[in-house]
Amino acid sequence: MSAPEPEIMAHPARLKAVLAVLFAALTVAGGVPLFKHRHYGMTFVAGPGVTKVIKLSDYSPGLKGSFTDPDVFILEGAEPGGKALLMADTHANEPAGLLAVLIMIENTVVEKGTLYIIPTLNVSGSRNTKAGDGYPLYFDIPTDWGKVRFRMGTRDASPLESWPDPDVYIHYPEKQMLSYLDVRNTNRTWPGRPDGPPMERVTYAAMELMRKEKVDIAFDLHGAETMFPVTNCIVAPQKSAKIATLAAMTVKAMEGYDSHVEPSPQNFRGLSHREIGDYSDTLPFLLEAPIPFLDQPTGPKTVKLLLDGKDPFLLSLAGKKKLFVAYDEKGWPMDKRVGQHMSTTLEIIRQFSKKTPDKAIRLTGAPKYADLVRDGAGHYYRDPAKAAPDRIHYE
Amino acid sequence: MTLQIGAILLLMVAAYAVASFKKLSVELSILAAAVAGGLGGAFLKTPPIAELPRHLVEGMFPYLDVMLVFSTATIFMALVNESGGVNYVVRGAIRLFYNVRVVALLVLMIIILIPGALTGAGSVSLLVVGAPVALALKALGIPERKVAAILFIVAGLAAAAPPVNIWAMILCAGTAIPYVGFTYTLGIPVLILGTFTILWFGLKKEGGMDKAAALAALPPAPPGMNGWRVLMPFLVFFGLIIANRIWPFATPIFGLPLEFTAAALTAWLVSPKRLHVLKLARETMQRLLPLLATMIVVGMLQQIMTATGVRGMISYSVIIIPLVLLFISLAVIIPVSEGVLTYGAAAILGIPLIWFFDSIGLHATVAIAGLSILWPLGDGLPPTALIGRLSVMVSEYKGTYWSFLRQTWLPWLVITITGILMVVYSAKLAFLVRWSM
Repeated sequence: MSAPEPEIMAHPARLKAVLAVLFAALTVAGGVPLFKHRHYGMTFVAGPGVTKVIKLSDYSPGLKGSFTDPDVFILEGAEPGGKALLMADTHANEPAGLLAVLIMIENTVVEKGTLYIIPTLNVSGSRNTKAGDGYPLYFDIPTDWGKVRFRMGTRDASPLESWPDPDVYIHYPEKQMLSYLDVRNTNRTWPGRPDGPPMERVTYAAMELMRKEKVDIAFDLHGAETMFPVTNCIVAPQKSAKIATLAAMTVKAMEGYDSHVEPSPQNFRGLSHREIGDYSDTLPFLLEAPIPFLDQPTGPKTVKLLLDGKDPFLLSLAGKKKLFVAYDEKGWPMDKRVGQHMSTTLEIIRQFSKKTPDKAIRLTGAPKYADLVRDGAGHYYRDPAKAAPDRIHYE
Repeated sequence: MTLQIGAILLLMVAAYAVASFKKLSVELSILAAAVAGGLGGAFLKTPPIAELPRHLVEGMFPYLDVMLVFSTATIFMALVNESGGVNYVVRGAIRLFYNVRVVALLVLMIIILIPGALTGAGSVSLLVVGAPVALALKALGIPERKVAAILFIVAGLAAAAPPVNIWAMILCAGTAIPYVGFTYTLGIPVLILGTFTILWFGLKKEGGMDKAAALAALPPAPPGMNGWRVLMPFLVFFGLIIANRIWPFATPIFGLPLEFTAAALTAWLVSPKRLHVLKLARETMQRLLPLLATMIVVGMLQQIMTATGVRGMISYSVIIIPLVLLFISLAVIIPVSEGVLTYGAAAILGIPLIWFFDSIGLHATVAIAGLSILWPLGDGLPPTALIGRLSVMVSEYKGTYWSFLRQTWLPWLVITITGILMVVYSAKLAFLVRWSM
């Protein structure tokens, strides 16, 4: 004898209504955190070296009023000198660059020359999540006074800003065909157009900044999987190669970490290290620090994994020589990655200044690799509660 | 950690099995597995229980664009079919080539390939052109069992054929490899394998009827239908794509959904008979619902598997297989993963595989092409068996499902060997990618 059918099954309309209510409840419960994440403002304190904060759209009106217009922090020295641009969050799921430039913004004082810092080049991507990949929405960095909360973004701009995707993205102006998704990837849309798709407008504005301000060197700070061949390195085109090589050798000898030089491929278009060099006088450098969190064969995608980079599967794969970086029980902590970005950037600036003394950039207050490994990145963040209101910026 | 993740995986498998045992649909069974995995993970705070609704909702979205393409493309092909365009072409193939059997078979193969190639879904081929092509094949004296086998294999190849190959698109997006260079890399093997399949099954005439009887058995094309009316919507579709290729910086980004919609509107306008667009669109969407639901729940499952570490453990398990064994095991891993996860398999297994292949010097684009001709075979395997079931249904084959599946053994084997060899010798086949650029 079969079990009697539950009463609700005899009333399909009632069943549908119940399911619709359940679905609506799930959508609200799951959708509200995503909405809050998109609108959450990260708090940055402008340190003593910050002389001005402007919008990137000041260099290209095509960005104005959009959700894709990042802040530009300017740190001007008393003495004229060279100019450097630092960009982070080109891919907003590679956050070591953001943490590094925030340390610069909050601590560095420029004595000679000028620094331009864009902490979230792809604002839209930093407010987006990677559906299907189960990332945490935020991560906290412990400080001496509490913690700083950051949004965990993703690689591509949100479809809310850039949609529809083309069937194939054709790079401007080289006409190379790229994946349709790359139209939302700010490291495929260089050098951009003033009236192109949204991410081309972002990179165009950054190009205009470099061209109009005569920026000498530019940094694009990234992270890459330990299983990806181009990781733990400086990617540089021919014109930047000498400085990159000297910097890589120096940090290895003086600071004790590896960061080899990878040549920028000439036939892969749209990348910052290729197009900035080809379409301006600026010398580009793309810095990659390993980020185990992004590797596919890892355990749960937790904040812990993001911060300490420890994973048993990667450890096992390292033993089988399947990774492209040295990897042991210590993992690859965020402080180490931030430290590498800081020290490599500072060393490239030093090498550039040595090579062209009339365009030297001299700065103080920026911690180096050993400081960050010892103290942790959070040690260098300022407490917004103690800052003057006009020094606080929400990104 | 491995033990904990293994326990969560077991819980997911158990939930799936129980749901299937209770005769719930494949979509609901996958949903049950996702929810069970999320609850199991919550015990270890991977993810914390409070974040579970967010993960489930976020997981609904990875394939939203694919679903839009799928929906608009299917409505477009349904309009072409309803206007009598498909019947017109099938009848034309029989009328012109009945006495040249090889050509007739090849034309019918191309007719099956087109909708799947345009949409990335073999099911669209079967839903739109499956019935008239099945009739034509039977009219050519091919028994139902073989007709079902032809439809299954060629519809699968259609899904893998360029320009839209969803497995390759998912893999390219996940591995930061440009979705370019696939035209010949996929097109050539698909055409060769399709030709082999249809000639293997169809070359020998086993009964059937003469030309007049065959034409009489086929559904008629409506009065006024002609070649131009059939061609016009496709010209609009390809015209928009080609315009973007020729003048990329002067053409706005239309996107595939709008391009298919424009083609659908053209099909409606040039149809010789009145079409009830809204009614047809409603019916098409209803037919598509299980497919769309599969894509939604597979995204949810993928999100939970990643958040709990199950996906990472599976990736790890695949990567540590010794290389030769890995190549051989692709014959099983790839189709079985498709049978369970459909498109989700490309993300869960494919992405780490491609990273790994790339790191040992294989050519990623060719390897992706090789894997993506293996995945459609899994659409004949339970629990989903989507294309397999549709093939049996459309061909009206009355035997058991397994007798139909057994029939496909030789093309299955040839496709498997071809796909694996494409992966193994991908570096040597890189010229196909260069030709395609």
